[in-house]
Formats: sequence, structure tokens, C-alpha cells
Amino acid sequence: MFEDRLRDLLISGRNQARKKGINAEFSFHREKSSLIRLGNSAVALSTHEELTRLDISVQQGRKVGSSSLTADITSSEQLQATLDQAAENCKAALGKDYEPIFGKVEETVDDSAGFDPELENFSPEAKTDLYAEVVKALKPKGKYDFSGSWSSGSTEMYYITTANDNEAYRRLTDSKFLMVLKEQNRKWELSVERTANKTGTFMADDVIAEFSSLLPIYEKNSGYKTKIGRQRVLFGPQAIAELLMLGIWGGFFGRFWEEKRAYTAKNKFGDKLFDASITITDDPTNPNVFGMPFDFSGKRRRPFVLVEKGLFKGLLYDSMAAAKYKKQPTGHDLSNTDFVLAPGNGPAGLEAGKKLAKNALYIPHLHYTHLPDPTKGMFTGSSRFNAMRLENGEFIAPLFSTRITDTSPSVFNNIVAVSSISVSQNESSTYSRRMPEAMSVPEYMLCDNVRITDVADSF
Amino acid sequence: MNTKVDNIAPAVKNQFERMIGSGCSFADARFYDEDSSQHIVLYDGNLESNNRGFERGIGVRVLKQGAWGFAATANLTAISACFDRALANAQAAAKLLGFPKDMGPAQPTKGQYRPPVEKDPFEIPLSEKLKFLKDIDTSLRDKTVAQRIVTANFQRRRIYYWNSEGTEIDRWVLNTFGSMMVMSPDKDGRNQRRSVELYSDGTGTRGYEWLTNPDWFAGHAERIKSELSEILAAESLPPGKRDVILLPGQGFLQVHETIGHALELDRILGYELSFAGGSHVRPEMIGTLRYGSEKLNCRAGVVENSAGTFGYDDEGSQQRDFMLIDKGVLVNVLSCRADLAEANAKAGKTVVKESGTAARASAFYRSPIDRMTNINIDPGQDGTLEDIIKDTKDGVVLDVPVSWSIGSNREHFHFGCEIAWEVKDGRRTKVYKNPTYQGHTLEFWGSLDKVGNRSTWRLHQVPNCGKGEPNQIMELGHGIPVMRFRNVQTGEKE
Ligand SMILES: [Zn+2]
Repeated sequence: MFEDRLRDLLISGRNQARKKGINAEFSFHREKSSLIRLGNSAVALSTHEELTRLDISVQQGRKVGSSSLTADITSSEQLQATLDQAAENCKAALGKDYEPIFGKVEETVDDSAGFDPELENFSPEAKTDLYAEVVKALKPKGKYDFSGSWSSGSTEMYYITTANDNEAYRRLTDSKFLMVLKEQNRKWELSVERTANKTGTFMADDVIAEFSSLLPIYEKNSGYKTKIGRQRVLFGPQAIAELLMLGIWGGFFGRFWEEKRAYTAKNKFGDKLFDASITITDDPTNPNVFGMPFDFSGKRRRPFVLVEKGLFKGLLYDSMAAAKYKKQPTGHDLSNTDFVLAPGNGPAGLEAGKKLAKNALYIPHLHYTHLPDPTKGMFTGSSRFNAMRLENGEFIAPLFSTRITDTSPSVFNNIVAVSSISVSQNESSTYSRRMPEAMSVPEYMLCDNVRITDVADSF
Repeated sequence: MNTKVDNIAPAVKNQFERMIGSGCSFADARFYDEDSSQHIVLYDGNLESNNRGFERGIGVRVLKQGAWGFAATANLTAISACFDRALANAQAAAKLLGFPKDMGPAQPTKGQYRPPVEKDPFEIPLSEKLKFLKDIDTSLRDKTVAQRIVTANFQRRRIYYWNSEGTEIDRWVLNTFGSMMVMSPDKDGRNQRRSVELYSDGTGTRGYEWLTNPDWFAGHAERIKSELSEILAAESLPPGKRDVILLPGQGFLQVHETIGHALELDRILGYELSFAGGSHVRPEMIGTLRYGSEKLNCRAGVVENSAGTFGYDDEGSQQRDFMLIDKGVLVNVLSCRADLAEANAKAGKTVVKESGTAARASAFYRSPIDRMTNINIDPGQDGTLEDIIKDTKDGVVLDVPVSWSIGSNREHFHFGCEIAWEVKDGRRTKVYKNPTYQGHTLEFWGSLDKVGNRSTWRLHQVPNCGKGEPNQIMELGHGIPVMRFRNVQTGEKE
């Protein structure tokens, strides 16, 4: 439940706006964030931020103006000044050539299910202790250097508008852990990642065990330089999330589709886009994602299908694109989505995936990705952490840096198997405000004919 | 409690005493009394962003037993609690300590800074700005143009900096950014674009008057429109090795990615490894590494009208103008005070003597890290752009980045640009679309053989350089002449 003092303040702001005949949307954000950074096997920085933010958007006819405040939001004067600024911006605005959609909270939401007070106050000492334990266990075993970061905290979001009396409130905690082991002479890197929404979900022993399972292959074998050309690739969770994001970026944004800049621009709903094993949704009810129950136009977010069994089913329209192109908004006035690539029929467990793949490249992470030609869904990116050569279902050597340049339609059409087990992949960043975001992806995805365009002599 | 600076300053100074009393060797605070921003976007003529932002709060750092702790709050009545948080963070960090951080000798400073501005953009009525931008949008309309985007961005900050050495800095920051872009699909359905961002020749002031100076912004609308139609009619750049002439609109990104980021000391020391990446430069190379040809002179410069000029950095050091690469040899890096001792220890000799005044934070709620300032290439003696073209047998002139991919240690790169002009036997012949080029950093800078004179030198701003955890978006500048590189791999094999 939202703190009474702030709720009263924001509702009084809404009442003032109504009294003045102003159509206003109020969006409040509060975070308690802390992060420690590991560099050169030591803690390099430890931070803590407590921030409150208020965004107000005012709409009169075809004119819109907004104002944002990141300060101590406890006084009605401060709130009034922000509302006045938004109203002034609206008054001076240029009218749009379409009818903009005004925000309205569809139904009252009061969701604190994902909040863990222990994680909100998770101490920097506890983080340092876990990092120290891993460093102590593994550093003596080789010329290793450790880096990484661990962010945790709480986020509160509250959204109301003058359109009705409903209120949308969300409070949750989240944690994103990354630890990278780098071998100093040969420069290979291994990583371990964890996502959590409560404390106690993982221990130093788990991290040590995961590194330890990867180390022998990397220690005992020299780098494998694969051939340029089309190959079988077994993708792991971070790479799958990256492929999913690139695929959605290039093909499923309503605005880009309408502007014919999406690789799906020539397709209509019902067309076959991908292999029948591919189903993509934005599903806030999935347990592997942080699950945002509403967006910042007040839409109740429900499972939304983009691709079902390979068939084109939906496009994402925020209220701006929806208004401009006369479509229904789909609940995407937000930056933290809940994308899900559905699990498939492949056997459970990475070991089973390896046996199925037989001879392939195992690429669990894709880095430095970008879209050289979005209109074809073309992307490029390189292997980095934990990448290995698979022969007869066994890892035989670490992989030298390998670049993939392919298209999303090609990758999602060349599916051999998709694991029946899903995992959570944390995609949160800390640019501007805390916005927990995760995807649910299969633990592996096996693809044929993946286009390898460059191989290096180093990791 | 009254949260005016007259009350904040003594409260902060009391906390410094308390922190030093608690065993800290250093403490500092940045109070942002105002951090205003304005963001305007016209997309196909529709005003899609019309926002004013305001931030206010304090960020504090303490150094205890060689470990940093940072805390920030918007609640200015809770400054003491904020210092407690920073202290607890430093104590936690000290439990897993690496090379102890050390600020070196105390450098108490008192100073003020105000950038050169004629017209404060925040004093200009919104309606006047919108009319100006709408006129540009109208001039970009054309049957060959599918999408038009015109933006303006303004920042105004009043920042007070204090530290436990007695330093007191009071400064204003004021930045102006503008951009315009036209886009259309070509006959293959691939999106093509041509754009320009607000730039200058390095002279003048950086208020609203900069944006409205037609030489540096609005006057280019017709040109980008007609160049887009040339791109739409063009063939793709055929692959091959040829000379590459970078206009400053592309050269700035080449410098940013393969010199600027590689010379940030925190990257060199490995503190950005798991996020932004490392550097191919090692501490012992500073002073000896041949980074490029004799023609390469690169400096961290002070250019009056640039977002990379800020008077004093976020440790209170007065911004200096110094060489990074002198006649091709790496002589210095971008640094702050606390990492100098570690760099010298790792190098086994003194490679950095004083702070590179590059400690910068993007907001009150972010801790300063090593950042680019104005990373400039000095003008050369090889004449004008036309002189350099006249001297080129087989090459391309390239402008404005579309895509970039750079190795994590900045050792190699691949860039795509908006437009290429073919050069054959000393003349520009035709336009190519989809130009790309790639190379290895040191080899590429080693092939620099022509550097244009002052007439070719342009100041470009980067409003959105991302780095650090928690993540920070920083603004900075690059002053760049026209540059020619020999025998570069260009174009893509299908
Ligand atoms: Zn950058």
C-alpha cells in the first residue's frame, strides 16, 4: 500500500488540476538503490541512492506538455510548481495532426506482491562478503582477476490521472548480480549472473560451483577458431534474450511497422514469420519476469501475443503510435516490458541440449550487438563469456571471439530444438531511474545455419 | 529546514569534520541547487516530446581506509544520514580492498565558473523555440523524405562543490544541443538517412544564440535533404582497400571510440571491465606507446563553447588543457586524482603526474568517474578539404555515423556512415550509400597522413556517452579537423 502522506499529496494535486479544468496525468517513482562494483578482485565503489520523482503530463485537445521533478517531493508547493510547468508547456505546445490519447487508469491496482523488505535493505557488507568468499575460493587456483556489479533495491510506482478516481500502485524489490572471472594471460572471461526478487535465493557456493564447472575446459584447452560460414549454434539464456530483444526491436514496434521500417512491414497478422516452435509474448503474469501490472497510460497489462507458433499475431503500440495510426494501444507506455520466449519440446537440461546438438558452437552470451539493417532484421554481435566448442555432445574447448551477422527471421526459422525449461534473464539497466526488467527464455535454443562472419585469434 | 545553499554549506562542512573524525581521509559533496533540462522533439512535424525537467539534491563521497563510499539523496534535511550511508558503504568496500585509493597531496581551491552565454535558453519562451524548430521541420518536407526528426535539448545546472581539504567551487553549466534528420527507404527497402547536429568552429558562445546561428544548424536543412536524395539514387560502396577521408562529422566518433574511451584511466586500470570494457593501453605504455603517425596530435582541450568545458571537474580540479598524444606518441591519459598512485605503481614509474581533471558525474545521484572532456585533434598543415581531395588518387570522403561496433578493449572497430563521396584522381566523382570501414586502432592511426588546417576544424558535441555503474549519460565535445587515412578496408562483401 502506498504511503498515505504521498498518496494524499498526489490526490490533492489531481483535485487541484480538476478544479482548474486541466487534464493531467501524475506518475510518481521512488527508488532505494544500492550497488557495489567489483574491479581488480576488490570492491571499487559502493553506492546508495534514495530518490523520488514526479512526472506530470497535461493535455488540452491536441496539445501536450510535460514536466519532471527529481527532488524531495513532500510539499504541495513543489507539486503545484511542477503541474504549472506542465500546463504552461501544454499551453505553448503545437497541436498534433492527430488526436492524442489521454491516460486513464483502467482499474485500481495495488500490488506489493514482489516486495521483500529484506532485499530493500540488503547491506553492502553482505554483498562484499559473498564476493570475498568467491574471490578467496577461486583466486588461488589461477591467474584470475574478478570484476562485476551487484545492484539491489526497491522501486515504487504510482499513477493517477484526472480522467477517473482509479489508482495504480506497484512496489517491488529486485537484485541483479554479475561476476566475471578473467584469466590474465590468455584473457578469456567467464561470467556468472543471478536475478532475484528476494534475498537468500543464492549463495557464494552456487557461484563458486558454476565457475568451477566451466574452468577445466578453459584451463586445459587452447582457444578454438571456428570457420566462417553457416553453422549449428546452441544458444544459452543471455544470448537468447539478446536475440529476442533484437527480433522484437526490428519487427514488432507498431510505429516502425506503420512507417515500413520493420522487417515485418510486408507481413499481415496470421502470416508465418518463424518456425512453429516460436511463441513470443509480453506476459506480466509469467513468474520469471518482474511483471509490470499497468503502464503509464493506465492500461492494465495482460499477456499480449506477438508470435504464436510462428505466426504473426501482434504489434506493440504505445498510446502515441496508436493515436497517430488509429490503432488500440496495447499497454506499452513503459520501458520495462516482460517478454517471454515460450519453452519448447526439447529435453530439459543443458546436458540434454548438448547431446542433441552433437557438434556445434555453444554461445550463451552475445555482446556488442547492433542492427546494421533493421529493415531486414539484420543484427550483428560477438561471443564473449562461457562460449565453447561442442563435439559429440561434449564441450571440448573454449571458443575464440566469434561474430554472428544474421537476420532475426533466419535465426527464428532455423530452429532445431527449444528447451522445455525456462529461466529468468535480467535485462535491467541503471540509466536514469530504477526500472527492473527481466525476460523469460528457454535455457537453450539450438539453431542451424547461423551465419558466422568473423573469427578472431583471441577471446 | 531552509534548504538554501547558505544552510547546506555549513551543514556539509560539519559533516566533513565528523567524517574526518571517523577516520576518513577525504570527503566531498556536490549540491545541485538546480539541474534543469528541456527536451523538445518534432517527429514528422508533431511535437512528441515537450518536457521540462528539474532535479535538486546532494551526492557525497567519503574515502576511508582507501575505499570509496557514495550516497545521494533528494532529501536535503537528511544530509547527516546521507554521510552515514556513504561511510557505511566505504566501510563495507574496505572489507575487500584492492589498491588503496589515495587523493595525493591536498589541493585546496576556491573558484567559480560560468560558461560564455549570450541568451540563456531557459529565458527564451517555449513558443519561440517551437516556431524556430517548426520552421526547420517545414523546410525538411519533401516528397523524397519519409520521416523527419528535429530536436533541441538544453541543460542548465547550478552546482556547488565542497571537500574536506577546504575546496569551494561554485559553477554554472549550460549546454545547448540540436539535431535534424531526414529518412527514406531506398529501392532495396533499406532505410537511409542524412542528418546534422549542432556544431561550430569552436568560436562563439553556447547559449540559445548558437542554435539559431544558421551556419551551425538551420542553414543545413536544404543540404541534408538534397544529399538524402543523392543517397537514395546511389549504389552501395563496393568493398576494397582505399584511402579514407573523414569529415569532422565522422572523425569525432573515430576519436571518441578509439582514442577517448581507450585513454580513460579507470578502463586502463580494469575498473570498467565487466561493463564498458577495458583498454588496449597498459599503464607502463604511457609516455612511450606509438599510437599513430607523426601527424597525430591529440589533446584534452578547453574549448569555450563546448559541453566538454566545465571549468572545474567534480573533484574541484580546474580543467586543464594538455596533450594526450604528441606527434603520435601517447603522453597522458584521462584521469582523476584518486587513481594516479595506482597507475604509477602498476607502471613501475611515474607515468601520470597530476589529475587529468576528468572526474565527472552526470547528476547529483551519481559518483564521478573518469570521463572525456573535449578530446580534440589539433589542426594540421595539409591545407583545406579540397587540397586533401586533390591529393587523393583513390578514396572516399565519409560523414556521420550510422552504426558502430568496437572491441571491448577499443583495439579494433567497424563503422557505418550515412554517406560516401568517391574520390578518383583528385576529384569527387559520385555518392555511394551504405559505406562502412574497419580497422585496428593503432594501425589505423598509424596510417594518418593528412591533417587539414584550422579551416577544416569543427567542434562536435556528444550528448549521450554512456558509461559506469550505476549507469551515467555524459555530454562532452570533440574538436576535429579533416583527416586522411591510407589504405583502409572499406565496404562489405555480400
Ligand atoms: Zn562514449
